[in-house]
Amino acid sequence: MFAITPNILSNFMNSLSRYIILLSVLLISVAIFLIIFIENDYYQGISFKIMFIHVPTAWLSLAIFLVMGISSIIGLIFKSPTAFIVSRSLSPIGLIMSIIVLVTGSIWGNLTWGAYWVWDARLTSMLILAFIYLGHILLLYSFEHFQKADFAASILAIIGLVNLPIVKFSVDWWTTLHQGSSVLRIGGPSMTNDYLITLFVSFFGIFMLTIFWFSNIFYIIVEKRKIERSILLND
Amino acid sequence: MRIIKLNNQIKKRFIFLLIIFVCFSASIFLISYSLKDQIAYFVEPTDLKNMDGIENKYLRVGGLVKTNSLKFLDGNWNFEVIDQNQNSVNVVFSKTLPNLVEENKGIIVEGKFVDNIFVAEIVLAKHDENYMPQSAIDKLKEEGKWRGN
Repeated sequence: MFAITPNILSNFMNSLSRYIILLSVLLISVAIFLIIFIENDYYQGISFKIMFIHVPTAWLSLAIFLVMGISSIIGLIFKSPTAFIVSRSLSPIGLIMSIIVLVTGSIWGNLTWGAYWVWDARLTSMLILAFIYLGHILLLYSFEHFQKADFAASILAIIGLVNLPIVKFSVDWWTTLHQGSSVLRIGGPSMTNDYLITLFVSFFGIFMLTIFWFSNIFYIIVEKRKIERSILLND
Repeated sequence: MRIIKLNNQIKKRFIFLLIIFVCFSASIFLISYSLKDQIAYFVEPTDLKNMDGIENKYLRVGGLVKTNSLKFLDGNWNFEVIDQNQNSVNVVFSKTLPNLVEENKGIIVEGKFVDNIFVAEIVLAKHDENYMPQSAIDKLKEEGKWRGN
């Protein structure tokens, strides 16, 4: 972290980004093909296919927050600008992921449960996660100096880490309307292999898209800082 | 000398963050532990046996729809919600059931007990985390491994 300056990371990701977006487009088109032609669930029918968007984005919204929290810790302890820019560029992606999770989840919920929204532990903790993302972004843009903003937002990200195990294990700790985990659970996945393959193809497609998007936001922030600095030096 | 100073600062910041994190997670743990009955979305019929004053109390009861109990009588849906301990609750519901309500499948009913019969105002279907195509089930049935209906 000491050696990796924002510039180095930005250039590195930029050199790879064209392959990443290619891979992402490829995986997402394979995923769409698989989702269309895969057999329906015996019980839920076609409505369960929304799972192939809902679950990958849910995993990603948790994983992005985990990375944000860890990079905030690294940033605060080692005063690393790279780590701060990582968490700054991840939070809008995480917000959009969690909004997608909530929207697809309520569509799915209406089709299967018979309600768009209920206040059970999983849904509520996921909503809190979305609000923490929103608060993180608001904190980042409510200070004049980005160092202060980074400090405040990082504290929020570290506090928000507490919510991650609650989202993940809420279905095991309390009784919820939301079903339990299907893939990352004790006793192995509870779906057939063709569903599992589709899920992972879709996940890696969206994951690669996330990386591409992240590298773009990272690049923009780094370049913006450079311009701001040159303006300051010229004045 | 400079390295020692830097390490001290890093240590200080680390302890600062650790204290924030531990305090906050402890408070969240205490809150969720003391509210665990409120956070739980539903109770099972077995839990109702140990509860006092359930008459006229707004409750959510969850379990499976008992096999051969789902009937449509006098404009009302009648069924029994059963749990793993074979305790059951008789439920009456006057509106349209969600599509996925089936016998031997999960259900959550929201309402009150009136004369030992649960009058539901809201019924939600609860599906589990098992996803399978019909063909896989047919195969399991052929092999005699299928344990559903």
